[in-house]
Amino acid sequence: MAEAATAVPVATGRRRWPSGPTFQRWFLGGWTLLVFAFLYIPILLLVVFSFNRSKLGIRWTGFTTEWYGKLFSNKSLLDSFYNSLIVASVTTVLATLFGTIGAWLLFRYKFPARRMLGLLIFIPMVMPEVLMGSSLRLLVVAVGGSLGYIAMIIAHTTFCFPFVLVGVQARLEGIDPSLEEAAMDLGATPVEAFWKVIVPYLMPAIVAGALMSFTLSFDEYIVSVFLSDATSQTLPLKVYGMVKKGLSPELNALSTIFIVATFFLVLITQVIKKRP
Amino acid sequence: MAVVAEAAPVTGGSSHERRPGWGAWLFLAPLLLWLILFVVVPSVLLVVYGFCERDGLGQVVFNFTWENYVRAFEWKWLKILLDSIWYAFLTTIICMAVGYPAAFYIGRAPERFRNLLLMLVMIPFWTSFLIRTYAWITILSNNGFFNTALISMGMIERPIEMMYTPFAVVLGLVYNFLPFMILPIYTSVEKLDNALVEAAYDLGASPVRAFSRVIIPLTRPGIAAGALLVFVPAIAMFAITTLMGGGTNPTIGEVIQNQFFRAQNRPFGAALGTLLLVMFFASLWFMHARKREA
Amino acid sequence: MKTPRHLLAATVLAAGSLFLSGCDKPAESSSPATESTPAPASTPAADSASAPAANAPADEEAVADTGEPKVLNLFCWSEYVPQAVIDAFTKQTGIRVNVENYSSNEEMYAKLLSGGKYDLIQPSEYAVEALIEAGQLRPLDKSAIPNLKNIDPEFLDMPFDPDNKYSVPWMAGPIGIVVNTELVQDDIKGYKDVFQEKFRDKIVILDDAREIVSWAFETLDIPINDVTDENLAKAKDLLAQWLPLVKVYDSDSPKTALLNGDVALGVVWNGEGAILTAEDEKFKWIIPEEGTHIFVDSLAIPKSAEHPKNAELFINFILRPKISKMISDEFPYLNPNLAARELLDPDALANPASYPSKEELDRMDTFKNIGDKASDIDDLVTTLKVQ
Repeated sequence: MAEAATAVPVATGRRRWPSGPTFQRWFLGGWTLLVFAFLYIPILLLVVFSFNRSKLGIRWTGFTTEWYGKLFSNKSLLDSFYNSLIVASVTTVLATLFGTIGAWLLFRYKFPARRMLGLLIFIPMVMPEVLMGSSLRLLVVAVGGSLGYIAMIIAHTTFCFPFVLVGVQARLEGIDPSLEEAAMDLGATPVEAFWKVIVPYLMPAIVAGALMSFTLSFDEYIVSVFLSDATSQTLPLKVYGMVKKGLSPELNALSTIFIVATFFLVLITQVIKKRP
Repeated sequence: MAVVAEAAPVTGGSSHERRPGWGAWLFLAPLLLWLILFVVVPSVLLVVYGFCERDGLGQVVFNFTWENYVRAFEWKWLKILLDSIWYAFLTTIICMAVGYPAAFYIGRAPERFRNLLLMLVMIPFWTSFLIRTYAWITILSNNGFFNTALISMGMIERPIEMMYTPFAVVLGLVYNFLPFMILPIYTSVEKLDNALVEAAYDLGASPVRAFSRVIIPLTRPGIAAGALLVFVPAIAMFAITTLMGGGTNPTIGEVIQNQFFRAQNRPFGAALGTLLLVMFFASLWFMHARKREA
Repeated sequence: MKTPRHLLAATVLAAGSLFLSGCDKPAESSSPATESTPAPASTPAADSASAPAANAPADEEAVADTGEPKVLNLFCWSEYVPQAVIDAFTKQTGIRVNVENYSSNEEMYAKLLSGGKYDLIQPSEYAVEALIEAGQLRPLDKSAIPNLKNIDPEFLDMPFDPDNKYSVPWMAGPIGIVVNTELVQDDIKGYKDVFQEKFRDKIVILDDAREIVSWAFETLDIPINDVTDENLAKAKDLLAQWLPLVKVYDSDSPKTALLNGDVALGVVWNGEGAILTAEDEKFKWIIPEEGTHIFVDSLAIPKSAEHPKNAELFINFILRPKISKMISDEFPYLNPNLAARELLDPDALANPASYPSKEELDRMDTFKNIGDKASDIDDLVTTLKVQ
């Protein structure tokens, strides 16, 4: 139907975005816009209310920037934010590493009890966080370790890496087997082949996994309850503690700043990319 | 659920598998160690605690008892478990329907926009979960934005009750899990061979059929991964369901959480958790067995 | 090549923030997130968003040196000890305070009993009793806490800790009823008036099984600590009628549902009641005529405390009238410190949610520890919620 007559199969490299009839293109675009609107509605509200005079965040009572000022003098809140950032970043690196390498190893090599291993990785995803947190705490204490950053990072990594692994596995399915073989035929070792050929192929899944890990870790509450100590309180712990008194708009201010900063960072890297 | 079975656990096709050499073992070893220490040990502890009694402060006492596991099989807990699974299932389906088109659009976007769009999907979730959820409450309440807007436009007279209903719970769940559906599907869409896609449209099939007969099956691994990454964690969710649902009709996650804190009965919480794990594995194994037969 | 620029960006963000936070750290001795080497005792003013009282009262008594290392590990409810109080303590004594929070007594037990090292905890009344029974508390050295005399005798020698051997009261408060008079014109006097069919799906209550059952007990004239299977069965019948009428269970912030108009009345903590009545006149606070539970949070020292003398110093410090007033200013609960009450604003004292009348106080009971009956109670309520 439709454009069959004029279209030329893509060997020429020409692409329409997205492919398919115009209607479908507009439909998909519109849908995506709606999805983004859905995702951002509460965020917009959040940002607006960071300028709200009232502490209770239910009604608009006037414009003010006082909360931004208060935020910068609220040391424990800022510290908890930095703590979350640190824990989430390290967790992301570790989880991405484990998830990617783990997915590849399971895919490529016939380890004994491979199926079993494949199932084990799901446990952290399905085990209720309160159980994981409390048992890890016991473990740490039993071996005489100390609570805090390291314990939290270990716990966060444990439940984040399955997300990366599953995503990378999906991408590995249907991979062209000759990719790796070709690389090795040209003299690469398995490690080099992995690094230079497989990893670039997996990159979208790795990036996606990293994004998911960061998000999960940054927002993790229960596990942090059990594994933090006084000096490593993370943002969710602080936030949950504030609920009884009412979530101060300082939190809105903090979130707004973080979102805006990330936007700029991303925009800047996009601009840099376009240069060459 | 056939879709879920496909994703789990993917252990590779047969054409390029190898016996692991010492190098592969070297890389596997740390991962294995990690798994054993931080996954297997807590799981074992879990199962063991289920067989223990508790003391006056709700902590675990190592006296063997069956009572927790017996109790876990009472209908009221099973009903809660089934309800939680139902919510998770609904959430997964809705996320799939809502997320697929967006993931497709992003996956086929010009290369320089893709990562940007991906990050844009994630950025809302770098705000704290609690303030996001409270923002939704502010939107959906009787005095909230949605109702106030509709009333002032004269479209309705009395507010629509949206908060603290199953609708609110599913909305909250879908909102929080949507990126976890979009991202995996994106990775499958992204590697779609242009030639194939164009050919599908150009060979005379209607756009809808091209999409459903060719494109969707090609992205099946991504869809399956997304389904897994939404369905599985959604079963044990508790915070969103309590906040958006008002605490009526608790989920299994809430119940287990409760055992640890308010009810002061950790062993029972452990028993329920074990039940959850066992159920999950049983269904995975079962689906895998069926898939291998097929 | 699809380099992961955005991963890099995130790392840069983290690295950048690490750098920034490093710059912030020196010489902040009293905030929770400092490094382990003790910093100088004086702190710059107002490094927190709360009360501006960084200049501690000048008329302090001289503070003895306890001989312990200058550290105190405080384990308390979230947002329950004002930062200004902590800062003032550090300024006075040079002792650095590490603060860790919890949101429930049970969480506190769990963390205390699994390797937590705390010098001071803040248990509620039944938790004090449970901990005493489990032998987990260290007796107080009363000679180190002369300011105990400031406490209202009504709040001393309470059933959960006779003679205050182990604990000192911090703040108290009753549970009560809040009514949105714009939506509800009835005269609500007690639980029976709240749980009526006409208020179906308009009620918010605390998500605390023990509380809920105690209201049923009060209504049935059963002593709230008489938790027997027989009494629970009676309560169950009553609750089976009440609970289906409830729209929201919320122990963290029941005021949200009330402020948003999603519910019209509720049974909540007095702190929430005080915030609501101060926020809008349409909210009315009522102590149920059937009777209610008053919570009493206290400070106590765990057996495993490493700096008990510092802990006693802190307790004595917060019992000073001016310091206690600082606490009251932040939290509209019932302050059992009579000397502090004399310093309070008339407005604060007039808030009926914070300071009940004598006859209302008489209708209040405190919880005692009920050990593993807590599980049965939770079971009961969960069963009823599910239907």
